[in-house]
Amino acid sequence: MTSDAKRRRALGQILLLAAGLLVLVAISAASVLLVNKARQDNASVVHTVEVENQINAVLLELRRAESAARAYLLTRWPEFLTDHEQAVSNITPYTDKLAQLAADNPLQVEHVKKLRGAIDIRLDQFRREMDFIKRDEPASAAALVREAAAGNTNAIIRDVTDKMRTEEARLFDLRTANADRSQILASSVTIAGSCIVIALGAIAAFQVRRSARVRDEAATKLRDLNITLETSVQERTADLREANDEIQRFAYIVSHDLRSPLVNIMGFTSELEELRGDIFKRIAALSHAGSDGAALPENATDSAEPVLDGADKQLSDDFSEALGFIKSSIAKMDRLISAILNLTREGRREFKPERINTRELIEGIASTVAHQAAEANAQIRVEPLPDLVSDRLALEQIFSNLMDNALKYLRDGVPGDIAIRGRTKLGFAIFEISDNGRGIDPRDHQRIFELFRRAGTQDKPGQGIGLAHVRALVRRLGGTMSVASELHKGSTFTITLPINWAANRKADA
Amino acid sequence: MSNPVTIIMIEDDEGHARLIERNIRRSGVNNEILPFTNGTEAVSYLFGPDGSGIDRNGQALLILLDLNLPDMTGIDILKRVKENKHLKSTPVVVLTTTDDSQEIKRCYELGCNVYITKPVNYESFANAIRQLGLFFSVIQVPPAAA
Repeated sequence: MTSDAKRRRALGQILLLAAGLLVLVAISAASVLLVNKARQDNASVVHTVEVENQINAVLLELRRAESAARAYLLTRWPEFLTDHEQAVSNITPYTDKLAQLAADNPLQVEHVKKLRGAIDIRLDQFRREMDFIKRDEPASAAALVREAAAGNTNAIIRDVTDKMRTEEARLFDLRTANADRSQILASSVTIAGSCIVIALGAIAAFQVRRSARVRDEAATKLRDLNITLETSVQERTADLREANDEIQRFAYIVSHDLRSPLVNIMGFTSELEELRGDIFKRIAALSHAGSDGAALPENATDSAEPVLDGADKQLSDDFSEALGFIKSSIAKMDRLISAILNLTREGRREFKPERINTRELIEGIASTVAHQAAEANAQIRVEPLPDLVSDRLALEQIFSNLMDNALKYLRDGVPGDIAIRGRTKLGFAIFEISDNGRGIDPRDHQRIFELFRRAGTQDKPGQGIGLAHVRALVRRLGGTMSVASELHKGSTFTITLPINWAANRKADA
Repeated sequence: MSNPVTIIMIEDDEGHARLIERNIRRSGVNNEILPFTNGTEAVSYLFGPDGSGIDRNGQALLILLDLNLPDMTGIDILKRVKENKHLKSTPVVVLTTTDDSQEIKRCYELGCNVYITKPVNYESFANAIRQLGLFFSVIQVPPAAA
């Protein structure tokens, strides 16, 4: 998965979450608003119903007062009087309440004012009726009742209350419709919002599942990779070791098998040399016999070097020269093959780490080369050296090669001074073998470590193997080596070896 | 010497065989030389068809053995010769190009009598072979029955 795709996915998730949040907020806000609206609408409906009730209550009390007054006029039973008074006492507060309730509607306020006027007139009529009855003038009271019944006050009251009721009925219809609309709106908003939220949730769940699947796949892959990495490292190590062994075997067999034909070449060259001796002796004898006619063949074969003249001598010399080149080349080839054999033999040797007193070891080497040192007029100084755990034979070969080289390549006429120093650093022992010899051209600093390569004046015997061998040994011991040198100033070879070399190279080689 | 020694030369390189033979002759040894160029033929001659070696019982033999043979290693032949009751007293001279000290040691452990490296330095090789000739003339191969 690319980082671009990752970023896009993260952005998508954030957007999704943000959208979900927005929808929720919108739904919540809309719900709150709509619920408030619905409550208001409901309150209005209730208000309308209340107004209607109040109108009815006022009318009821008016009728009650009227009928009680009539009943009292007819029967004079005090119960009807009490009933009438009670009804009358209710009318004014009820009317007040109606006025209060209808105060929001200017039309109704107007109606209430008219109603109140009519009611006042009516109440006044009741009062007068009661006065007549109390004064025991039933005829006047009855007349008044008649008058009242015939008068238009009741009509006005009926008319006004009808109008009010009509108005309230209109308002009721309107408000009920409003409330219904609000509720439908609220529910549809809620349903739509819920649908969107559910959809977003589904998308989010899908995405989470997808990313979880991707993550699981990645985790599985990682685990597999870790397991296979371990195995492949081991396999690779085994392969490398096998390849290395193969190379060692190859070098060994090749160099070994090259020797067989070389033995033949050398052997038959020597045979040729003997034949050459016989041939030229015979030629000498024949030529002597031709010129003197006295020489004996038997004697001729006995003489060490036949006496030849002119062209024959030239022929004999050419013959010797050719054979000489062949023999010296064979000798050189044999040395090279021997060197390769020795190197492969060393490469196959198992190292055994042991505690080594380095100073003792190097002083031992110094004493074996003391004779050469004395011949070269050189002194070898061994300074205190750190001890280490390593392979003794390998260390001996490393240091004796380097000391041999130091003695071999001293400057003519300058007393040699070879110093071996040592120190430790971070678990490594660092050894320096320095001399004041002829030095090495910086261009040759890499070359000298290569097999069969040499540098400088070729006036000393050698195959160009020592340093290659030393470096191979140092590497096998887990160390490194380098050279610092200037022509005609001397050289310093630095070897860094682990202080505690464990023979676990098989495991991690 | 009523019982002349037969030299069994097991050497796959014909050049080497020729050089060895010449040098042996040059040092004055005129014993019969039986050359074999591979291990199988040599083994079938030495041990016979039944592999017991009874045919060679009592014969005076000397084996010149090259370790690098095309079909088997000389070490195997050496081992078999020295383990065989009829042949174990036969002197074996190992002739090879290897100067590996491990291999030399192994050969002596297995009972080889002389180990000669075939050096490229021909003089020393010829010298060694000639010395071997002297050795042939000196040794008296004991009858196997004794």
